[in-house]
Amino acid sequence: MPQPLAPKEAAQFRTIIRSFEDKQYKRGLKTADLILKKYPRHGDTMAMKALILNSQGKPDEAFPLAKEALTVDMKSHICWHVYGLLYRSVKNFEEAIKAYKFALKLDPSSAQIQRDLAILQVHVRDYQGYIQSRTAMLQARPQIRSSWTALAIAHHLAGNLTEAENVLTTYEGTLKSAPSRFDGEHSEAVMYKNSIIAEQGDFQRALDHLESDAKHNLDRLAVLECRADYLSKLGRKEDAVQAYRLLIERNPEHIDYYEKLEQALEISQEDVAARKAIYDEYAAKFPRCDIARRVPLDFLSGDEFRQAAESYVALMLNKGVPSLFANLKHLYSDSFKKDTLREIVEKYLASQDIDSESKDKGEAAGLYYLAQHYNYHLSRDLAKADEYVDRAIEKDPKSVDFHMTKARILKHTGNIKEAAEMMDKARKLDLKDRYINSKCAKYQLRNGENEKALKTVGLFTRAETVGGPLADLLEMQCIWYLTEDGEAYARRGNLGLALKRFHALNNIFDVWQDDQFDFHSFSLRKGQIRAYIDMIRWEDHFRDHPVYSRVALDAINLYLAMADKPAANGTNGADEEDALEKKKAAKKAKKELQRLEREEAERQAKQDPNKGGQAADAKKKDEDPLGLTLAATTDPLGEAMKFLGPMLQAGPKNIDAQIAGFEVYIRRKKYVLALQCLNRSLAIDAENPRVHEQVIAFRKLLNNPPSDLAPKVLEALKAEFTAVEAATDLTKYNQDFQEKHQASPLHVLSAVKARLTLGADLAKCEKEVHGLIEHASATFTDAIAALETLKSWRSAEIESFRKAALTKWPNVTRLSE
Amino acid sequence: MDIRLLTTADLPLIQHANLENLPENYFLKYYLYHALSWPQLSFVAVDVSRPRKGPYDYPKIVGYVLAKMEEEPTDGVQHGHITSLSVMRTHRRLGIAEKLMRQSQLAMVETFQAKYVSLHVRVSNVAARHLYEDTLKFRNEKTESKYYADGEDAYSMRLDLDDVAELAKRYAGGGGEDEDKDEDKDGEKKSKKTTTNGAPAAGATADLAIRSEGVDEGEAVGEVGRDPEANDKEKKVKVAVGRGLGVGDLVEKDESKH
Repeated sequence: MPQPLAPKEAAQFRTIIRSFEDKQYKRGLKTADLILKKYPRHGDTMAMKALILNSQGKPDEAFPLAKEALTVDMKSHICWHVYGLLYRSVKNFEEAIKAYKFALKLDPSSAQIQRDLAILQVHVRDYQGYIQSRTAMLQARPQIRSSWTALAIAHHLAGNLTEAENVLTTYEGTLKSAPSRFDGEHSEAVMYKNSIIAEQGDFQRALDHLESDAKHNLDRLAVLECRADYLSKLGRKEDAVQAYRLLIERNPEHIDYYEKLEQALEISQEDVAARKAIYDEYAAKFPRCDIARRVPLDFLSGDEFRQAAESYVALMLNKGVPSLFANLKHLYSDSFKKDTLREIVEKYLASQDIDSESKDKGEAAGLYYLAQHYNYHLSRDLAKADEYVDRAIEKDPKSVDFHMTKARILKHTGNIKEAAEMMDKARKLDLKDRYINSKCAKYQLRNGENEKALKTVGLFTRAETVGGPLADLLEMQCIWYLTEDGEAYARRGNLGLALKRFHALNNIFDVWQDDQFDFHSFSLRKGQIRAYIDMIRWEDHFRDHPVYSRVALDAINLYLAMADKPAANGTNGADEEDALEKKKAAKKAKKELQRLEREEAERQAKQDPNKGGQAADAKKKDEDPLGLTLAATTDPLGEAMKFLGPMLQAGPKNIDAQIAGFEVYIRRKKYVLALQCLNRSLAIDAENPRVHEQVIAFRKLLNNPPSDLAPKVLEALKAEFTAVEAATDLTKYNQDFQEKHQASPLHVLSAVKARLTLGADLAKCEKEVHGLIEHASATFTDAIAALETLKSWRSAEIESFRKAALTKWPNVTRLSE
Repeated sequence: MDIRLLTTADLPLIQHANLENLPENYFLKYYLYHALSWPQLSFVAVDVSRPRKGPYDYPKIVGYVLAKMEEEPTDGVQHGHITSLSVMRTHRRLGIAEKLMRQSQLAMVETFQAKYVSLHVRVSNVAARHLYEDTLKFRNEKTESKYYADGEDAYSMRLDLDDVAELAKRYAGGGGEDEDKDEDKDGEKKSKKTTTNGAPAAGATADLAIRSEGVDEGEAVGEVGRDPEANDKEKKVKVAVGRGLGVGDLVEKDESKH
């Protein structure tokens, strides 16, 4: 029960709430202090003060005060509500929900508390709790449509489709007159209901509903697409044909429509002539349609393919469409098509009729195509690629695209340094184009030029962002740059900055997760329910984004290396080296910090003192801009878990994630989890070379279990690990694996590593790794992997390997690093 | 290349394309705000021929149009606005930008009864202006001084959507209303009628396509292609706010601008 206040103070208390809502924090605090002067133990005021302090970024003051408020007034719903809000702000949702529930118990009629609770419940996917809350909210405000929609959403997300539909139908029954045709909320509610019917698999009913209730629906495209889909699922082929034809009329560039049309027409995949006829019909009808012309190349073969490809290629080259190669390269998995396309372009170039004057059409476009053709991994001949691109550049010495391709060709030779220079040349040909600027920065990062790259991207970032280009990239969530920047630092051995970037990326993904919060209520107001459901479902797996696993693997690899490095205590040569390195790094870091501070001071000096900017300056100062604290962690494996957990959860089918999981868990002595990862890896690809290494290591571990492994656990592990029998001669097993995969340098490398695990002589293993240079199918990428292995062994062979490898693959930047 | 409506899962890739191509950037929440407020209006062009990369392959987005409705139009007229449009440099000259725009405009009319669509374009962005003025027939309304964060002026352009409304009506006539009326009479006639109705609608579409595209029919796709970096953007100031704020703040910001 809130403590009563005199009328004057009660009015002041209302002012505090208003000030808080209007974000007038200073005023709110002032008013709170006024009340507290008179009533120093007034719980609600203390709570409101805590809430405001928290909003000012002072959680350290806010939490104790909120707790004190509770001890003063345990029975106040305001105190509990505030307590929940504080917990919510630090993302401790569980505690927040508990506090809200207490508050609600004390004041069951509070719509605000009920609403906050509901939103948090759906946010943490407590659907049963959400249903309860939404039911209560509906009872409180049944006259509002969104109360009903929200309850339907709750049932829908909880998987109870029938109940969700019932709720919507019940609401419809209360409508006295049909809503206006232009009522957006109603229009969407109808389509939402339709999607729920369809989700139940009852397509006849979904179609009937669509035809009766969605006649004039505002979302025309959705109606047409659903209708076509239901018709085909119901086997009403003729109607489905009409429906898909109508959709193609609206948008002839959507492949899905054509495929569904083929199905509706019951054209078999083999009936190439019939399929071709459909595409030809639309190609004739829409002279500028790309899909109708290009897709037949996917299914035609032989002379028919050649003919169709000839006319398509000529059309595109005549126009100088630069994406021609990108649009055709998927055909290269068919070697006939690959060769035919090359022949067609060669023939095109040999023809007398083509435009040889243009800078980007005709001959120039043909040369450009062949340069890309020979640069592609399935048809690679980098010398030829370079020849063609040079001829193209002769046609147009100012072409950004041609120079960009030349840079790519250089990259594929392994010469990253020259590739970066070439990309910079391309960039300078069009300084206003951010695309080429981005590509150039990326290549500079690949070449380890972090500082230069930042200057490059800085030409396009917002000048006024406090903290310069990097701060802008962080704020704008520029994940590609942060990833490349971190990886470049990792290669340069700058652990601090590499980890700094990887953690920043992890934070961005956290922000993406938090972003949905406001939409739980916003979407109900906007009424766009299907889009909201789509978002909720995406948020449930959004970390399967390939960038996330890439960053997570990068970070985990760094942490594994840290965990494997013995502590630098100066007892042997290697450690002394380490200590020396660390000293050097610390010195460098200090310099770097000073540089950053200097730059920031200069920047501020330059700023117009009359301009505000206080808000931005108030941003929290980064206490560890160089990531030194991150790099100094004493628990690298614990840190690795921050990346591993979410990655494994979002992408269990990603073998690299499972492989990394094994490495982390085995070092943390979590053998059951390690085995789980290993078994999943085996299910995905049992022949993966790294999985082979892990199989050997795990079998060895089980055969010679560590003393602290409980017998029961050991038994369980033995029962679950069936890839290699206990009695197997591991040396022979490893040898067999190597022979089976003799043709693959990476498999041989893994077999050598496994041999070392099994106790083979290091010098012998080093020699074998060295020998990979002579392997018949070794590429410089394999050589880089071999070099990395030697580095991880701190081998004495590193330099001689480098020398030999560079003789075979000169100019490969990574081999000289 | 495939043109379709955007989904939430596309948003990080749209954000990526935007960051790669254009100087006006936003955090993901701003994209979410569009996708959850006007999900019918934004479209993407996807490179569908790219081979799949692993079990968690995400589509490669080579172009997008991010569009909205003006929430409280100062002139009281319902209209759409193009927040951002870009096409990767590598995918020029296929007319992608134009095709994306046409889909968006159709939805603006059908779903939100937009009367016109507006956008801003950098005065110096010749390629984008060419797309808007020559190909799409936008007309330059006025110059907004120092619209962009770097001090550059913007042209404020608009296109009346009467033609699109006409087109929408024909689509509706071909597939929807007439058919519904016939339904009451008898089924057989209905299916026959659908077919005949369908044909003129289709013809009309093609007509319009040819009419509006007639301009660069001769030199074809090439002209349209140059726009790819075409873009325009809401005022940066607005975007800078965001992350800490609620969606409501995003909305209010938008309104306060006008």
